This record gives sequence, structure tokens and C-alpha cells, in this order.
Amino acid sequence: MKIKIKLTIFLSLLCLIYSCTKKGFEGPSIEILYGDFELIEPLTITNKNPSFSNNTQVGFHCEFNKPVQWKISIIGLNTNATKEIIGFSNLIDSNLIKWNGSPNQVPFFSEEFCAIELTFENEIDTLRDTISIVSSKTYENGVWVENFDDGLPENGIVHYNNDGGGMTFSIANDEPLLGDSYFKMGGRVNWDWSLGNIDIPLEINNVSVPSENLYINLGILSDLQDLHTGQFINILISEETNTPFDDNPNNNASDLFESTMEVYKMKIPVDWNGWKVKSFKYSDFEPISPNNPDINFNMNPSDIRAIRISCQACPSSVGNPICPENFGKDVRTDIDHIVLTTNSNIFEQ
Amino acid sequence: MKRNLLLLKIIFGILFSNLSIYSQTNENIWFDGVSRAYFARDAINKNITDTLSARNVSNGYSLLDLNTHVNPIKDIEIFTQLRLKNSFGSFFGSGTEVNVRQLSAKGVINNKIRFSVGDLFLKQSKFTLYNYDEELLSYENDLIRPYRDIIHYENFYTENRWRLQGLQADFSYEFDRYIRGLDFDFFVTRPRGSSQINETTYTSDILLSGGSIISQINKQLIFSGNYINLFEPGSSGTKNISIRNPVHDISLHYSFDKEKYYIQQKLQTGFSKRFWLHSELDNGISDSTSNRIKGMYFELDNKYSMKDSTLSLSLGYRYVDPNFRSAGAQTRRLDYNNINSIYPSYTNMSLIRPPSIFDLLSDNIWYNQEISSTLMIFNPIYSNVLPYGDATPNRLGIYLNAKANNINKQFIAKINIGLFREVIGQGTNYKRNFSLLKGFLKVNFDKLLNLSKELSFYISSKSEISVRGGGELSSLNLFSNHTNASVNAELVNNLFFQSSYNMFLANGNEFITQRNNYGNINYFTKTQINQKEHVFSTGMMYKLRKNIYANLNYYWWGINFSELPYDDYKYNRLLLILSVEL
Repeated sequence: MKIKIKLTIFLSLLCLIYSCTKKGFEGPSIEILYGDFELIEPLTITNKNPSFSNNTQVGFHCEFNKPVQWKISIIGLNTNATKEIIGFSNLIDSNLIKWNGSPNQVPFFSEEFCAIELTFENEIDTLRDTISIVSSKTYENGVWVENFDDGLPENGIVHYNNDGGGMTFSIANDEPLLGDSYFKMGGRVNWDWSLGNIDIPLEINNVSVPSENLYINLGILSDLQDLHTGQFINILISEETNTPFDDNPNNNASDLFESTMEVYKMKIPVDWNGWKVKSFKYSDFEPISPNNPDINFNMNPSDIRAIRISCQACPSSVGNPICPENFGKDVRTDIDHIVLTTNSNIFEQ
Repeated sequence: MKRNLLLLKIIFGILFSNLSIYSQTNENIWFDGVSRAYFARDAINKNITDTLSARNVSNGYSLLDLNTHVNPIKDIEIFTQLRLKNSFGSFFGSGTEVNVRQLSAKGVINNKIRFSVGDLFLKQSKFTLYNYDEELLSYENDLIRPYRDIIHYENFYTENRWRLQGLQADFSYEFDRYIRGLDFDFFVTRPRGSSQINETTYTSDILLSGGSIISQINKQLIFSGNYINLFEPGSSGTKNISIRNPVHDISLHYSFDKEKYYIQQKLQTGFSKRFWLHSELDNGISDSTSNRIKGMYFELDNKYSMKDSTLSLSLGYRYVDPNFRSAGAQTRRLDYNNINSIYPSYTNMSLIRPPSIFDLLSDNIWYNQEISSTLMIFNPIYSNVLPYGDATPNRLGIYLNAKANNINKQFIAKINIGLFREVIGQGTNYKRNFSLLKGFLKVNFDKLLNLSKELSFYISSKSEISVRGGGELSSLNLFSNHTNASVNAELVNNLFFQSSYNMFLANGNEFITQRNNYGNINYFTKTQINQKEHVFSTGMMYKLRKNIYANLNYYWWGINFSELPYDDYKYNRLLLILSVEL
């Protein structure tokens, strides 16, 4: 009998504590997450007439009933410049979601009307508005800028293969990325890799950011007309501090890019039509002589002394037929606005 | 020629005489260790279309873990494990690793306090510090065991302990009245060191400290208490936000025996807190906390065991609060934030290959050695009922574990049953109900039929059912089953033929929980599951001694998905392992 009572008490206790649960639920409601989409607050824009040249920003605000993938598209009605901002949330907060007047890629916005569109993934709702840009954003506020508007940079050295055909290593004004001028780099050297380069001295001693936070931005112009499929640009950055920029005047290039020096490289294949702005973290550059034990590749932005932009293409002639299909084709890798920025690339400044 | 031979004799003579003298005069130094050679060749099944991946790949290595034990004095031992590893295909030192894998010192101070410094292997209760077995482990067969042994060895998984680095000390007292004895144990470890995020920002150290007290009150009653705290000392980094996760645990263990059986009853409870401390804020703002949660747990376990070990039964009830957080007990071995190391992508679209049970059982990349301060993600296909072991939060229910065998161990059977439900719903007021059923039967035909050579067969099965009611949007129903059949036959002395078949099925729908950096749920991803996996394997094992064996196995494995977006895959593997425990 005693055993039966104990067993009954034990089982009753188990039933009691088995039913010991809590009301409510953890996390967002599934009924809302997977239910119908509803707008709680409409799209509002904090400034419909922004002056981006004064560093004004435009904030966006909107609220809906569930987290969704959303996209704000901004299209310049004159320039066709575009900017997209995407996110996943149930709130677009104007304190966090801001536009500084930059596009995602060239062309840049100018003083123009822009169409704004807010769309949601897997939902048919689209919210629209417009803004008018009073003054467009400028891109001259990097820690170092070379825009070629005043001709070739002071103390800069241009060198190209004089035996090539149609060599264009000079300042031009016909279609700059921004401002008035740009630097043309191109021509035809079928038998060798290098067409030419421009070496520019630079000092950014006052920059104290690590290499991960220094960005090298560069506008590059090409075209697809009879495209040389093996053309590319090499950016070389030298941290050689013991040798003068032009140590040997008889040498028609800077003396800071020798293989025995602390030099870093980034290769950019060029295969597009028109201008494109490319941005790279300095930390993504690679040492040109990584196996040289005498060089300390410690990558310190404040030690940067020079930059070389080099136009190259794979050889195609019979004597050196690495890419024979490109024989006789002109190379075009024009450049404009070499801008060094800190903490973010040129579009996010 | 004669001169060369003489020279060789002299060199060998000198070398061996030195070794002999050395071993005789250094009795305080002794060695042991492990040596292993591993070679695997994987191939895409010829029926699969994947022209972007290599048709077959091979890899392997040989290694020696040399353990050196030095006893400079009687009560001190210094232990170091030196690893020499050479990947196949490496020449002239490239690909060769030499590193110190373990280093520790332990001893006894004044015959009273025992201490260990360096690499420690720590375990407390199942709710404070416990390294739970990975899913899919239970009742594994002899063809999967070599992988299991390697993965456990490489990740220092021994006796459900976590390998940590720090300091441990323990001591005990004996009494002649009121209580019989008191045991104390304390430790301080550092699971993660400070690391640099950028030039000016450093993360803080993570420290894990704790202590245990065990008191034998009388012959039948034992009281124990555990405390553990995972925390970040703010001063070790530059971030002004740091975690605190203390857990308190007490238990009463009562046992008695009759002529033929034992009864053991255990009552265990405790609670946890977890929050992030914001300190040293700008403008003189005082310290504050955020994301603060508290939770408790309770477990009552009753165990009946026959004294002749033929039957044991365990029946219990467990409640774990949704907000119970214990980093030391809820960190998972399997970390799904990885991709396969063998054929990481597949198909001509180079899709990332989802892992199969074979990957999870054989690929070391999926295994974790670091204590996690927040709940790690899990895959409900493979473990949905208790993904964090007994310490899984938001569970209450009953369980039954049984083991039976006859005296001669001709038959061995095990069964585990668990019926659990959520304490609070996730994303809906409706709560999930979970059912777990595991069974295992091994028949030793050699003992049954009095054969001189070993012959055994076993079969195991594990099923999980997760069900939730509610509307069309929130209801769910997920079923998974893992069945394994295996035969092990000794052909001639110490040479075994082995064959096994693993089948895994999962069907239904679930919501995968997503959490933010502070462990709060911020989304549920709806998933539809319908997949079937297989691993067929056959091979030979030659066992020179208990701890020296060679395996040569061949595996056919793959997955059939019935739901998009995945494509099916099939692979084969040839495996050779030579393992020697010195």
C-alpha cells in the first residue's frame, strides 16, 4: 500500500512539473515573419534639397511589420548615376541609413533631380519619392589627391617605350572622370609587357592609420573597341625611405621601385568600357620581393614615399607570343583622380 | 670496405652504449606516446556530374606524438607532448610540423595539496562544465571508430572533459564525526587570450574559473556543490563591454543497496546569470549591464542497477529554463560555421557542399575546442531534441535509460527514451514536443555458439520527432532516423573482416533559430527537409595488439535531396590507418 501511495505521489509530481511551462514566446513572431507584409510608417527623407558639397547627408526612415530584405535605389535623372543601399530589418532608421551623395560606381551624381525607390524582396510594394541635389559631392578631400587638372604632377616622371606605336602617355582633356584633365596611358608594344608608367612622389607622414584603413582609389578609363584582352594596370607603392625619389637623374624613372626595396604591388586587369573607379585597401597589396630576407615588409602608411601607375599588357608578337590573339591591338588604361583615403573608400567618404 | 664497417660498428657501439647508460641513469624520465599513419583517397562517384572538381584527391600524413614525463623530485611531474608531423607529399622540411602539443606540470605540495599547471582536462557537473558527446556518436560501428578515435584525440575529448589551460588545485579533509569527508577543487583557466582587432583595439581575455566541494555526509548521502564563472576582465583589452556568466549548482546523491541491487537517487538544481558589463564609459557615466538573463534547472534521477551488472535502469525528470546559460556545459563539439575540407564545393555550379553524416563523423574541421559564451548554432536534422546535451535550455521532460545483457554477454541491449517539450514557445505561443528513441542490440555469436574466433553483429537506431501545433505558418513536424547495422568477423588470428551500413533519413519542416551577438533570437528561417544519406563501408583490420592496429577500409557515401536547393552527391573513399600507442 505504501509503495502505491509513493508511486502515485511520484507520478502526480511528475505530471505537475511536466506541465510547468511559461506563457508568451521567445523571438519575433513567426506569424508576422511569414505573414503578410504591412507598412507601419511611410518612407520619409530628411533633406530633399541636399548640398553634398557641404558634406550634407540625406537620411531615410521607414518602418514595417517584419524584418525583410529592403533596397533603396537612387537614380540621377540626368546622369543616370545610381546608388543602392540594402539592408535586412523591420526599421530603416534615418540616424543610421544615410546617403552622402556618392554613387556605387561612376558616373557621379551632378546637380540634378533624383528618383528614390524603396523595394522589398518578395513583396510587390514599392515606395517612391524624389530629391533635388543642390550641389554635388566633391572628391578632393582624401589624404592625398592627384587629379591631373594642373598638368603632370610636380616632380612626377613619365616613362614609356618610345619604340611602341600610338603611345599616349600625356595629359588629355576630352573626357576626364572629374575636373578638367586626365592622364592617358596606352599604345602598342607587341613584344614586351611594359608600355610605360608614371611615377609620383608622395608623403603622408601625418597619416597614422594602419594599412587596413588606408584606401587607394583610382579612376581607370578603357574601351571595348578592339579590346586587348591582356591589358592591366600595376599600382606599385614604395616605402623606401633611404633613397631619393630621383636618385639617378640619368635613369628615366624613379629609383624607389627596385626589387631590393620595400615595395608593394596591386594588379588590376582592365576589361571594361568607360570610366570605372577601383578602390583597394593598402593591406591587400602584396610585396614585390616577398622572399628577400633583407627587407622588412611591415607596411606602414606613413612611410609611403612614391606611387607608380604602370600600364602593361601581355606580349603578342611572334618573338614573344604569350597572347598572340592580341597582336596589333592598342592598349588603353587611362587614369584620373588617384586619391588616398582613410577608413573608407572614396565613395563612402 | 672493412674500414667502413669498422667505423659503422664504432658509431653504433657508441650510440647504443650511450642510450643504455642514459636509460639506466635517468629513471626519472620516461616516455610514451602515439604514432599514426593516415592515408585517404577520395573520388567522385562516376554517376555524378561535376567536371570542375578533381575526379579524385588524396591526402595523408604520418605523425609521432612523443610524451616525455620528467620527475625531478618524487612529488612533481613535468609532462610535455612533442608532435612531429609530416604531410604526404612534403619534402625537405616543407609541410613538416614540429610543435609542442601539450605542456603541464603537476605535483603534490607537502602531501596535502595536489596541483596542476598548464594543460588541464576539466569536468564538473553536467550543467556547469561538461563536454557533451557530439550527435551521431552513440553506438558507432567499428568502421567509424577509427575516425572517432582520431577526432577525439586531436581535439582532446577525453571523458567529456574540456581541455583548458591554467591552474588547478585540490585537497581533502577527513572527519571522524558529523561528516566523513570534504573534498575541494579549484581552477582558473584562460580559454581565450586577448587579440588585436586593429591598431588600437584589443579584445579582452576570457577567463573561466570555478570550484567544487564534495562532502560525504554518511555512507549513503553525498552533497556536492559547484560554481563556475566565465568572464572577461576588462583591463586585458580595450573594449568597455565584457561578459559575465556565473553558474551555481548543488546536488544530493542518495544511494543504498539490497542483496541483489543498488538504488541511486540524485537531486540536482542550480541557476545561472549572464549579462554584459559596460564599464569605464566616457564622460564619467557609471557602469551598467545589458542583455541580463537568469535561469535555473532541476533534475531528479533514479537509477536501479543489478549487482551482477545484467540490468540497469535510469528514470528521471529534467527542467531547464529557457534563460539558463552555462558556457562550460552548453558549448557544442560540432561547429557548423565551417565548410567541408574534402570536396568543399560540388556540381558544375560550384555550390558549397552541405555536410553529410560521413563528413561529420570523419572530418576534423567540424570540431570545436573553444568554450563559446553564447549558444552555438545546431542543425536540427541531426540533433533537435537535446542539441546542447542535458543542459539544453528550454526543455522539460522525462527520460528512461536502460541497459541489459546476460551474464556471458552474448546479448547486449541498450535503450534510451526521452519525452520533452519546450518551456516557452519560439516565435509562437505553441510549444514544440520532442520524442527521442535510441536502441542498440549487439549479438556476440562467438560466445553464443562457442566459436574460437570473434563474430559479432550489431544494429542500432536513433529516431527524433519534433512536433509543434498552431496555424499553417508556425506548425512544424520533423522526423529523423539514423540506423546502423554492422558485422565484425575474425577470419584468422587478429585479422578481422568488417562491414557496415549507415542510413540517415530526415523529413519534414523546421525553423532554424538565428541569434544576435548577445544570444537573443532575432529571426527564424523556415526550412523544408527531405533527405536520405547512406554510408556503406567494408574493410579489414589487423590488430597486432590491443593498441596497435591497421585498418584498410572502403566507403561509399552520399546524400539524396528531395528538396531544392541542393543537388545529390556521391563519393567513395579508400582509407588506410596504422595506429600505434607506445
